[in-house]
Amino acid sequence: MRVSCLQQNLSRGLSIVGRAVASRSNLPVLQNVKISTEDNMLVLSATNLDIAITTRIGAQVEEDGEITIPARLLTDFVNSLPDDRIDIKTESDPLMAGLTCQRFEANINGTDSEEFPPIPTVDEGATIKMDPQVLRETVAHVAFAAATEDSRPVLTGIKVEVKGDDFTFAAADGFRLAVYEGKLTEPLPEDMEFIIPAKSMQEVGRLIGSDDTEVEFTITPTGTHALFNIGTVEIVSQLMPGSFPNFRSLIPEENRSSVTVKQEDFMRAVRSAAIFARDGSGIVRLQLLDGEEGGRISISSRAEEMGDNQSEIDGSVEGEVDEESKIAFNNKYLSEVLDVLGDGEIAFEMSTASSPGVVRAVDKDGYTHVVMPMFVQW
Amino acid sequence: MAADASHYPEDYRAIIHADFDAFYASVEQRDYPELIGKPVVVGGKSENRGVVASASYEARAFGISSAIPMSRAYRLCPQLVRKPPRFEVYRSVSNKVMDIFRSITPLVEPLSLDEAYLDVTRLETSEITPPLIAQELKKKVWAELSLTISVGVGTSKCVAKIASDMNKPDGITVVRPGTEREFLFPLPVQSIWGIGPKTTERLNSFGINTIEQLSKRDISWFESNFGSNSLSVRNMCFGEDPRPVVTHRERKSFSSETTLVDDSDDPEILREIVIRLSNDVGQSLSSRGISGKTVKLKLRSSDFITSTRQRSVLEPIQLSSEIADVAVDLLNHELYKKNSYRLVGVGVSGFGSLENSQDAMQLRFKGF
Repeated sequence: MRVSCLQQNLSRGLSIVGRAVASRSNLPVLQNVKISTEDNMLVLSATNLDIAITTRIGAQVEEDGEITIPARLLTDFVNSLPDDRIDIKTESDPLMAGLTCQRFEANINGTDSEEFPPIPTVDEGATIKMDPQVLRETVAHVAFAAATEDSRPVLTGIKVEVKGDDFTFAAADGFRLAVYEGKLTEPLPEDMEFIIPAKSMQEVGRLIGSDDTEVEFTITPTGTHALFNIGTVEIVSQLMPGSFPNFRSLIPEENRSSVTVKQEDFMRAVRSAAIFARDGSGIVRLQLLDGEEGGRISISSRAEEMGDNQSEIDGSVEGEVDEESKIAFNNKYLSEVLDVLGDGEIAFEMSTASSPGVVRAVDKDGYTHVVMPMFVQW
Repeated sequence: MAADASHYPEDYRAIIHADFDAFYASVEQRDYPELIGKPVVVGGKSENRGVVASASYEARAFGISSAIPMSRAYRLCPQLVRKPPRFEVYRSVSNKVMDIFRSITPLVEPLSLDEAYLDVTRLETSEITPPLIAQELKKKVWAELSLTISVGVGTSKCVAKIASDMNKPDGITVVRPGTEREFLFPLPVQSIWGIGPKTTERLNSFGINTIEQLSKRDISWFESNFGSNSLSVRNMCFGEDPRPVVTHRERKSFSSETTLVDDSDDPEILREIVIRLSNDVGQSLSSRGISGKTVKLKLRSSDFITSTRQRSVLEPIQLSSEIADVAVDLLNHELYKKNSYRLVGVGVSGFGSLENSQDAMQLRFKGF
């Protein structure tokens, strides 16, 4: 292989596929990036077997070829180079890639690309089309609620359901549930549902960035893989086997009381309570109170032997407000959802201290976040 | 003992001790119906120095009990069926049963995966009495999990625990207020919590075989024989045990360890084990909603030298991945020794003196 490309492009390409390089693996070749040529393009691919990312960068190809080389070494070296032309030339015996840029030179030992696991191809299947910013926002609102531990693997995934042009994304880790419902840009002829690793969707969200070209993703007919096309980047993710628990049954059908507050106020109060909750289980206590103008919500926490804190914010309260209108949460669960909801009005709904609380954004119809409280002695 | 369901006099506590019958083995028999009626044990393979973790009642008939080596179990009963343990399943069943208990009262003190104390004192109403609650509990567990529990109802923890053991399996034993002595006195001394085989032997050599005989001794005799425990042992002879049911016992640490099938010095294998153990510990922490500041790695080398390394972090951690990061790093610092190890353990401590570890708990979605 003999190719030339720009340092800037190679560096960007490597940072994109670098997200799929295995950090620790029993298969050392997974720590490599595969470099190949195709129609005057340099193709970079990496996979950790859960997800594969491929991207193409403009290049001048004098001789086709392919090789895999350690991703970390290559990336660090390329990033250290000046923004100029890089010439890449591979040798077959011993197998290595030589890089030259101005007066910088490096030889990096490679591994035969035959040893690199084939990136699954997705040529057929149902293709879902979504507005990129809708998809990115959906992922941002849902993925963080997925479990990060794999004691129950399906919970590390996002359950996706598509019916006509309606979609539902849901994730839950046993303590909280996030559900986002919205519209596709085109209806799908057949209903479908699958579970995709939350990590894969987070990569997809990251790669969409501020891109505004429609995202297409194709689900293989066997339901084993999904392929995302985002501009010049392709992501193939495994889909997860198993059945996702019935998340709809976790959403309370009604509530005893609800309060609407400004996200900014709520967030600040939770953050300030979190400081005192830091040493413990992060317990933050909420209590709905009557007020002259609509109502208030009191947010408090305490640190044994250190002190306590309490703050109040105004809001409009509906339903019952009495001694029972109190509930405690792990502050992390509250902050994370408030953080992703961003500016605007937040509706918080509750029934009892031991039944789930619901957080919604007044201007985001399709979003529901359910959090299990902490059982505490009041 | 028939369950007299009439009302309790005031000022008496009502404590239930509930205990699964042959827990792991029963779960296996439930999930593999072909094992019903057969001698079943759960445990590791005999060629891997496995021991019996749980034996079905059919297996117990052959003299098999938990903690005996698997090889001996096979000698006692050659047609024995061994199932490898499925701890995730047992843990999930355990979570479910604790949820059932908590649906009755929040005052539940789990003792292990398969047993718990419930304080139902305040649940008594004009229609409901503690023995009825106990019956209801058994019914609920059977209806939801298809497993049997044995329950004991008493006025203290020690009486309830002894009672639950009286009619196993699938039993219910109620010791009504005021009848504690009647119930306890004829029982052998080892029924009392804390009196093990060694002490039993010593007591028997003094001619003390029953709780009644033990209860007749005076305080100074107890003091010279039981030291600092003398008062509580003596009180238990009379069924008096003031320990409350605490929903969260203050644990100083959570840990998980494993003996390797083959001793290993392979860094990859050791790292994987450390990550798996960190996962166990992380789950224990997150299911309780607590986090700790100190991660400890325990290693026992092939020549039986045990060493521990620990590191404290600034912010309390709870997630498996965070625990694993620290534990793997501690391991990495040991690997240069190129030792071969037979046991690896990971623990987290440093929960601090918090209200939280004591009486707060993160609730989970039902069925998750």
